[in-house]
Amino acid sequence: MSAISLSLPTRLSRLRGANNEGVLALVLLALIVGMSIANPVFFTLPTAFSILRSSIVPLIFALGVLMVIISGGIDVSFAAIAVFAAYTTVQMHQNGAPDLGLVAAFLLALLIGASLGAINGFLIARFRLSTLIVTLGTQGIFKGALLTYVGSRYVADLPDSMAAVSTTNLFAVDTASGGAYLHILVVPAVLMAVGLAWVLRYTMFGRSIYAIGGDVEAARRAGIRVVRTQMVVYVIAGTMAAVGGMIYVIMERSASPQILVGSELDIIAAVVLGGASIFGGRGSVLGTTLGVLLVQVIFNSLILAGVPSAWQRTAVGLLLILGVGIQAITSRKSSRAKVMDETIQKQEVPA
Amino acid sequence: MKLTDPRLEPLSRMNDSVESGWSRALALVRIEGGVRRMLILLAVAFVIFAALRPSIFLSGTNLRNIALNSPEIGVLAIAMMLAMLTGGIDLSLVAMANLSAITMATLFTAMAANDPGQAEQMFPVIVLAGVAVGVLGGAINGLLISGLGITPILATLGTMQIFNGIAVAWTGGKTLYGSPEVLTGIGASTLGGVPTLFCLFVLVAVAIGVVINRTPLGLRIQLQGANPTAALYSGIASRKILMSTYLMTGLLSGIAGVFFIARNPTASADYGASYVLLVIVIAVLGGTNPNGGFATVFGVVLATLTLEIVSSGFTALRLSSYQYAIAQGLILVAAMAAEQIKWRRRRNRKPVLQPT
Repeated sequence: MSAISLSLPTRLSRLRGANNEGVLALVLLALIVGMSIANPVFFTLPTAFSILRSSIVPLIFALGVLMVIISGGIDVSFAAIAVFAAYTTVQMHQNGAPDLGLVAAFLLALLIGASLGAINGFLIARFRLSTLIVTLGTQGIFKGALLTYVGSRYVADLPDSMAAVSTTNLFAVDTASGGAYLHILVVPAVLMAVGLAWVLRYTMFGRSIYAIGGDVEAARRAGIRVVRTQMVVYVIAGTMAAVGGMIYVIMERSASPQILVGSELDIIAAVVLGGASIFGGRGSVLGTTLGVLLVQVIFNSLILAGVPSAWQRTAVGLLLILGVGIQAITSRKSSRAKVMDETIQKQEVPA
Repeated sequence: MKLTDPRLEPLSRMNDSVESGWSRALALVRIEGGVRRMLILLAVAFVIFAALRPSIFLSGTNLRNIALNSPEIGVLAIAMMLAMLTGGIDLSLVAMANLSAITMATLFTAMAANDPGQAEQMFPVIVLAGVAVGVLGGAINGLLISGLGITPILATLGTMQIFNGIAVAWTGGKTLYGSPEVLTGIGASTLGGVPTLFCLFVLVAVAIGVVINRTPLGLRIQLQGANPTAALYSGIASRKILMSTYLMTGLLSGIAGVFFIARNPTASADYGASYVLLVIVIAVLGGTNPNGGFATVFGVVLATLTLEIVSSGFTALRLSSYQYAIAQGLILVAAMAAEQIKWRRRRNRKPVLQPT
C-alpha cells in the first residue's frame, strides 16, 4: 500500500485516531450543532469563551491525571494537593508575610505541590502499593493536615498581585449579545497541554511512561528505570495540581480549604472519556482535551436547557458509563476479530 | 521413600492422616495470624484510649456509641471486602445505602400522609423496598461489570455519581425526616445490654462468613479473585460469580441503609460522605488483599471495631474529625506498606525457581 493513495478503511481509521479522538470530536461537534439549533444563545462568542474559561482548571488537572493514568496508576489526591498548595500560599500572606509577587507565589505553590506529589510517588514506587488506595489515603492525610495545621477559614482578600490577574483578559470582543471576554489564564493551560503532548510524544521520559503503563516488567527489562520514572510522574502530577489550584483560587478571587471537593471524579471521567485506558499505556493529550471540553459543553447545555444542577453529577456518571461501556464492547469485539483473523491465517498456511 | 509393603499400609495411612492434619493445623494457624494481629491492634487501641481518658472512654455511653456506630460501617466494609475478594472494588456502596434510606423515608412520609396507622403497619414493606433499592443498584453494577466487561473501579465510579445525583435531585439537597416507629424502636433497643443493631450486624457478618467459607459460591468467589485465568480454565462461570458478588454488595448496602434510618430517622444524599475512604481502610486493615483472593470476615469485623474505638478515642481526647482523617490515611498506608514488606520478605526467603 503506497503512502499517497491510502485505502478508505485506512483513511477512516486515521481520522478515528489511536484513542478514538475522531469519534469524540464528532460527538462534540454533533452536540454543539444540536445545541445551537435548539437554543441560538448557545452559538455565540460569549458562550464559547465562558466554556473555555470553565475548562481551564479541569484541563490542567486532567493533564496531570492523564500522565498518571498512562503510567498505569490512578490519582484521586490531586484535588487535595491543589487545595493544599493554593490555600497554604494564600494563608501565608494572610498571616502577615509580605506580598510575594505572582511568580514567587506560584513557585511556592509549585514547591508544595511537588513535595506532596513526591510523597505519593515514594509510597507507590518504593512499596509498589495500589495507586488508588495510596492516593485515597494521602488525600485524607493532606486534607486533614490542611484543615488542622494550616487553617480552616474562608479567605476573601487575595494578595494584590494575584487579585490583579483575576480581572485580566487576553482579549475582549463586543458582540451583539454582550461582551465576550477570553481570560488570560487560558494561556498557561494551553501551554501546559502543548508541553505535555510534546513530552509524551518526543522525549525518552514520555515514552518510558507509556512503556511502564503498558507492562512494568517489560519496561524494566528494556532498561527503563521504573522507580525513578514513577517518582517523577507523581512529582510532576503534584506540581500540575498546584498550578490548577492556584489558577482556581485566582479565578474565584477567594480561597477556602473546602474548595474542589468532589471534583476528582469529574476529572477522571473526562480523562477516561478522552480515550485513556485505566490499565495504562494508552491515552493522548488531544483526547483528554476533547473529553474535558465535552464535559464542560454538556454542563453548559444542561444549564441552558434549564435542568437543575443536581443532575449534572448524574450526567457525568452516565457519560462515563456510556463512554467506557462502548470502549469495553469495541475492544472485546476487536480482540475477537483478531483471534478470528489469526485462526484463518493458520488454516491457510498448510494449503 | 515409598512404603509398598502391605503390612505397612496402616502406617502409611496414618502417616497421610497425620500429614493432612498437620497441614490443616498449619492453615488454621496461618489464618489466625492475620486475625490475631487484628485482635492485638484492637486491644492496644482500647488500652491506650482507656488509659488516656478512662472517665470518658470507659463510660457506658461511649461503649454503647461504639456498638451503635459500628453496624452501618461494618456492613459496608464487609460489602467492600466482598468486592475486593474478586479483585474489584465498589465505590458506589455509600451512595446506594443513602438511596435506600431516602426511598424508605419517602415511602413512609407518603404513606403517613394518608393514614399514619397504616404506614406503621406497612413497615416490613418499607424495609423490603429499601433493601430492594440496594439490590437493584447492585444488579446495575453487576451488569456493567460482568455483562459489559467494564472495570469495577470505573463502573462503580460512574454508578456512584449516578446514584448520588439521583439522591441529590430527589431530595433537593435537603434532609428527609420520617421512619416507622418500629424501626426506630429497634435502633434504640438492646438485647441483654447489647444494642440490637450490633446483634444484627454480627448476624450479617456470620451469614457472609458462612457464604464465603462454606458454600460453593464462596469458594468460586475466592478462586475468581485469587487467579481469574485459572478460574476461567477451571470452568468457573466468571460472569455469574461477579454478578452474584455485586448483587451481594448491593444487598449489604440496602441493609446498611436500613441501619442508617433505624439509628436516626433521617435520610439525606450526603450522609456518610467520608465513609467511602473509611470503608476501604477497614477492609484493607482487616487483612483483605485489594488485588483479590484473600479476606476474612472476622478480620473485617475486628477492624471495624478498632477504627470505631480510634474514632471515639479521638473524640474523647478532643481531637477534631480532620485529625481522625489524617489517622485513617496513615493507618491505610501503613497497613498496606507493612503487608507488602512482609510479603516481599517471605518471597525473598523462599526464592522462586528462575525461568531459564
